[in-house]
Amino acid sequence: MRRRRPLNRRWWGLVFVSPVVAYFAVFSIFPVMFGFALSLTDYDLLDPPNWVGLDNFYALFADRLFLTAFANTLVFVAGATVPVWLASLLAALLFDQAFRGRTVLKTLFFLPVLPPVVVVAVVWRMLLHPNGVMTWLAGAWRGVTEIDWLTNTVLAPLSMIAVHDWAAIPFFMLIWLAGLAGIPPELREAAHIDGATPLSTFWHIDLPLLRSTAVLVAALSTINAFQTFTLQYVLSPDPGGPANSTLVLGLLVLKYGFQYFRMGDAAAISVVMFALILAVTAAQLWFNRRAS
Amino acid sequence: MRARARGRLLLFLVAFAAAVVFAFPIWVMVTSAFKAEPEIQAIPIHWLPHDFQWLARFREAAEFAPLWRYFFNSTLLSLVHVAITVFFGALAGFGFAKYRFPGRGFLFFFVICTLMIPFQILVVPLFIEVKAFGWENSYPGLIIPGMMNAFGVFMMRQYAADLPDELLEAGRVDGAGEFHMFLRIVLPLLLPALTSLAIIVFIWSWGTFLWPLVIVQDRELNVLAVGLTNYSQPYQHAPMWGAAMAASTVATIPIAGLFVFFQRYFIKGLTAAAVKG
Repeated sequence: MRRRRPLNRRWWGLVFVSPVVAYFAVFSIFPVMFGFALSLTDYDLLDPPNWVGLDNFYALFADRLFLTAFANTLVFVAGATVPVWLASLLAALLFDQAFRGRTVLKTLFFLPVLPPVVVVAVVWRMLLHPNGVMTWLAGAWRGVTEIDWLTNTVLAPLSMIAVHDWAAIPFFMLIWLAGLAGIPPELREAAHIDGATPLSTFWHIDLPLLRSTAVLVAALSTINAFQTFTLQYVLSPDPGGPANSTLVLGLLVLKYGFQYFRMGDAAAISVVMFALILAVTAAQLWFNRRAS
Repeated sequence: MRARARGRLLLFLVAFAAAVVFAFPIWVMVTSAFKAEPEIQAIPIHWLPHDFQWLARFREAAEFAPLWRYFFNSTLLSLVHVAITVFFGALAGFGFAKYRFPGRGFLFFFVICTLMIPFQILVVPLFIEVKAFGWENSYPGLIIPGMMNAFGVFMMRQYAADLPDELLEAGRVDGAGEFHMFLRIVLPLLLPALTSLAIIVFIWSWGTFLWPLVIVQDRELNVLAVGLTNYSQPYQHAPMWGAAMAASTVATIPIAGLFVFFQRYFIKGLTAAAVKG
């Protein structure tokens, strides 16, 4: 008589992971492949896709709008990484000290992390009204009553960066604080006993141990900044404006894809963005490997 | 000793200034939600409403656009995402951590690869795919893409790997089936990590903007994040700042609530997601 043997135990592992694998095959891996294929076609959602090879990519590098968006994205990335990296580190060092009211003040400082990006954009759009609160704070003492924060081609990209950094700095402070918490206090005490100044303690003890955190903050802020889109879409009275000065790659994907229905071109821009982001990830891994 | 006290005072003053600068916009948002419309852009600023409006701005926001419907849709989307990611993330994480089956390494790599794909890369092809499914402008189209996050698998695999094998063996001796053991033994042990995961997934899904923007046209189906733009840039209408601030406050409350009630898990979730996201 044959007895039914229970399913070999290790196969249960396959059963447990299969829903997730199937889901990602359909909603992540397939669309990525499909996106690559799409970037090699002309497709307007109505007629069947038309194979054009690499023409979309050649066209992008002659496309003024794409080059503008590319340059604007690089400017935004510069403004959303270096200042954020420095300011969030300083904030973490500040709130890592012991002083009265530290917990309350840290919580207040952390508040910008709570609202979703769209809320950030809507609130700042009101604050940056030409005759609004920020104009009052920045201009009232010198008699200025109107500042075109969001409708001046020089100021608008800077306003985007400032608003982004306002929300990003407290978030990255958290990451630095987690890194600082991992440093054994004995090390600092030992340095203190040896007569090291706080600055040299930081330089010779904290900073080398924070190396992976430093790389992480740099990489993550760069990757986030490359994908920026919501701020430029919601904060500006004219998405991407004025005069395309805040047009970034993420916004251009939306414009080509869902306004002009040039799906092939939109997919090609996505591929370029993907390549940029992968390059950042690769740099992060390389830096981390070199550190260890 | 005196130099030290002076140093502490200096630290306090710097921290105080930083906190004021960073909290200021949130203060303006919340107080403006209770101000009369002309008061909102008053110069100099009214730090507190002079003409306290109680809930009038919220009512106005709900009359101008289906604010509570948006709220419901955002809640539905976020809770489905949380439930799916937490349950299947734990299941797959456990599967990857504690079973040696053929193809394990490859499948894990396959799942982790999806972590590196930014959503903006997916939006165009995913839109075409979901449209082909006939899910455009519907709840399935809004909710299903993005309801599972590979970060959940990654995080849960790490926590499941730390579970002692003896506990699982004890469960097996008692004659429990593998899935039963997962439900009865593994899930409860993973609960603290699952709480952090649930919070971070809720935050992500609650703020999601790009996908609802392209996949949904009906205002009855839209989420709060997209609905908010109705107030700041209404079609052929001056911006309604009072209603916009009231709706923005509504959109921030769930996240603020999680922060207040689950602060430790909240911080843990955000940090874990950054480190491995």
